[in-house]
Amino acid sequence: MSSGVEHLLQVLFNGLASGAVYALFALGYTLVFSVLGVINFAQGALFTLGAYFTYLLIGGAVGSNGALAGFQLPLALPFWLALLLAGAGAAGMGLLVEATAFAPLRQRRAEPLLFLISSLGAGVVIVNGVQLLMGAESYSIPAGSLGRLPAAVLIGGAQVRTVQLLLMAVAAVVLVVLTLWLEGSRLGKALQAVSEDPVTARLLGIDAGAMIRLAFALSGFLAGVAGGLVALSVSIAGPYFGIGFGLKGLGVLVLGGLGSVPGAMLGGLVVGLAEALVPAEFSGYKDGVAYGFLFLVLLLRPRGLLGKATVSKV
Amino acid sequence: MTAPPLLELEGLSRSFGGLVAVNQVSLQVQEGTITGLIGPNGAGKTTLFNLISGLTPPHAGRILWQGAAIGGLPPERVNRLGIARTFQNLRLFGPLSCLDNVLVGLHSADRSPLLAGLLNRPAFRRQQDQLRQRAHELLELLELDRLADQPADSLAYGHRRRLEIARALATGPRLLLLDEPAAGMNPAEKAALADLIERLRQRFNLTVLVIEHHVPLMMRLCDRLAVLNFGQRIAEGTPAEVRSDPLVIEAYLGSQA
Amino acid sequence: MSDLSLLVQMGLGALLALSVYLPLRCGQLSLATPGFYAIGGYVAALLSTRWPALAAAGAGGLYPLPALLLEMVLAVGLAVGLALLIGRPVLKLRGIYLAIATIALVEILRVVNLNAGWSGGAVGIFAIPQPFDGPGGYLVCTALLLALCCWFCARLEQTRLGRAMAAIREDELATRCMGVPTAQVALSAFVLSAAIAALTGVVAAHFLNTWNARQGGFDASITTLAFVVFGGSRTWLGPVLGGLVLTALPELLRPVGDLRLIVFGLVILVGPILAPQGLITPERLAALARAFPARAAGGNGVRR
Repeated sequence: MSSGVEHLLQVLFNGLASGAVYALFALGYTLVFSVLGVINFAQGALFTLGAYFTYLLIGGAVGSNGALAGFQLPLALPFWLALLLAGAGAAGMGLLVEATAFAPLRQRRAEPLLFLISSLGAGVVIVNGVQLLMGAESYSIPAGSLGRLPAAVLIGGAQVRTVQLLLMAVAAVVLVVLTLWLEGSRLGKALQAVSEDPVTARLLGIDAGAMIRLAFALSGFLAGVAGGLVALSVSIAGPYFGIGFGLKGLGVLVLGGLGSVPGAMLGGLVVGLAEALVPAEFSGYKDGVAYGFLFLVLLLRPRGLLGKATVSKV
Repeated sequence: MTAPPLLELEGLSRSFGGLVAVNQVSLQVQEGTITGLIGPNGAGKTTLFNLISGLTPPHAGRILWQGAAIGGLPPERVNRLGIARTFQNLRLFGPLSCLDNVLVGLHSADRSPLLAGLLNRPAFRRQQDQLRQRAHELLELLELDRLADQPADSLAYGHRRRLEIARALATGPRLLLLDEPAAGMNPAEKAALADLIERLRQRFNLTVLVIEHHVPLMMRLCDRLAVLNFGQRIAEGTPAEVRSDPLVIEAYLGSQA
Repeated sequence: MSDLSLLVQMGLGALLALSVYLPLRCGQLSLATPGFYAIGGYVAALLSTRWPALAAAGAGGLYPLPALLLEMVLAVGLAVGLALLIGRPVLKLRGIYLAIATIALVEILRVVNLNAGWSGGAVGIFAIPQPFDGPGGYLVCTALLLALCCWFCARLEQTRLGRAMAAIREDELATRCMGVPTAQVALSAFVLSAAIAALTGVVAAHFLNTWNARQGGFDASITTLAFVVFGGSRTWLGPVLGGLVLTALPELLRPVGDLRLIVFGLVILVGPILAPQGLITPERLAALARAFPARAAGGNGVRR
């Protein structure tokens, strides 16, 4: 009897862990969407970048295929520090993406479709840049990188890998901090003001450009950290591996409701759990579950689970 | 027994969130009349137009078209029953030429099958020529014909207002809803517009329901006036009756005098 | 890759771009094109290799053209049927929601194709018979299809359906108030888009000789969209040009070696910034027509 419960618990934790990754992704999209009203398609590339940065910073060596073949940083930072720095690096790249792909379009009030294309172009450049430098092979971060922490802990009889707990914890902390920050702090309120009414926000003395850059930096940081954690928990399956996660994160975002922070979290957990509950013999269909779910939700609730309806003015 | 009015509203209500935009409004519009809808900003006039034209479904009450309930029908069905409208904020098809704007209004009149159009059959060409001619006639009537090939968003403001009327007329309405057709016009243009509306009514046997702020213009143009305030109809009658209604004076005219 | 093969690929790219263009023409950002492309490819691959009547026809020699036509008819039929089935509920969605729903649809199809028994799984279907003995035949076939679709799109602009599509793109509610059944118009555009994508898939499956679930994924959704945005989404000529140029670009960039995909990304990145309306706009066509009045025979379609 207990083995059944343990198995379910195991499945639950696996689902929560991957749900946490999706949620982190969706939160990154949400930040940018809520200030600009557009989707940053380069988000998946920033995730990739975070993973590679983490790998390099802990002292990992480049394989034999890229332009940097055999290169290794002369330092080996602890995983924690590497992860934070990788997040910062991805945030920096996020700012660069904003400056090149978004700011010029923003200044001339281009239609949202164009942002989609130009940010996608930025993503293509980043991903192929990584491939050029580090090759297409997969990299993995040694399991012992968490230092003295055990590789797994026993919760209710289920073996839960520490990195999975870490992912959940990071996602939970980010959710709480982000919500408190958006609702409670001056800066957070300014960010929301820009998203609701940029003109009035400007009149109130809020620097919209700075708020937008802040959103990009934050979402880049989230993507980078998520990438580093996934690199540890699974591996880096080549430069394109962020794209697949990014796409699913996008689905999660819409599932939860665009622009809603709790919605992004809920969407991530729902999809993660639904995928984990797919029986092993149908595991090939796992990726389809998220999209099937998303498709149905959109047809039944076009604004997502927690999205607000907007009234169009005539 | 007399025939039912062309359009009749019975206790029509609609709210947005907590705000009651239209509250228990009843109104009869007799065939062939010009009825004016006046009231301060935010009185619910445009919402009433949106309810009639099917853009917004009512929460309560009935909309009767020649005695039959049409509340909740989608806007394209309402239009094909014979109700056309213009928009307060001008909703033209910007990059399309004036002619094409009017041709979109003639969509339902265009009976050519798609295949005939693709193959450019003679019957298709004949019908297109006829439609184009009708569109030109409408543009001419509204003194826009020399601008037929110009994109709509290149037009001057007053011209755009008239193009909206031409486009609405193209759908062949019996009832025309005009939402502030004289907004942004000078007194001379307003007077010309009033004459134009009167001419259009006679030429197309139209019934007109018009929203306008300029009260003297409405007094002159309309057979009947209805006054809305805070979503409620506070008065209805001939211009003379409405002018002397104390409620109206207090709510609307008083502030203007 | 031979030059002729590249030309065939460019033509297929242009066809896919037209398929994305049609819904976009009436303001619907549908990215379902790769899904219908994949369906077209599977119909061709399965019929020509597994259906005894057709598989035997191709054995030993060239695959007969009537069989190819039959595949096209069946693929278009299947795609149109599916588009009609899902079109109504899906097209109620707007903007980015429609885009995501159609991406989800494409991904669902991809996952099914990857796992279902009949599709050959990840390996896919091999040795699809050849109706032509070289890329030249494919080039003629693709060029004919492309010409047909261009003609169709050009004529469409002259009909009330085309006008209604243009109007919906500008203002859907106003269009509805003009008595236009916009849901039906949008569905027509969606169905036509599916038909063109499926046709393209049939040709592509034979041309590539093999078909698997990698054909028509999310990447394809976005690159085909890039074709349209790059070329310009307000005339049919724009997507065609975008499709031809952007398909050729990675090949033309072969000399720069590993940098080519980076350059490709840069082009997509700066394209919308330098030319927000795309390379070809109605205004530029009109200016061209004024500059070369003798050649501007079909000038009345230019205004839109």
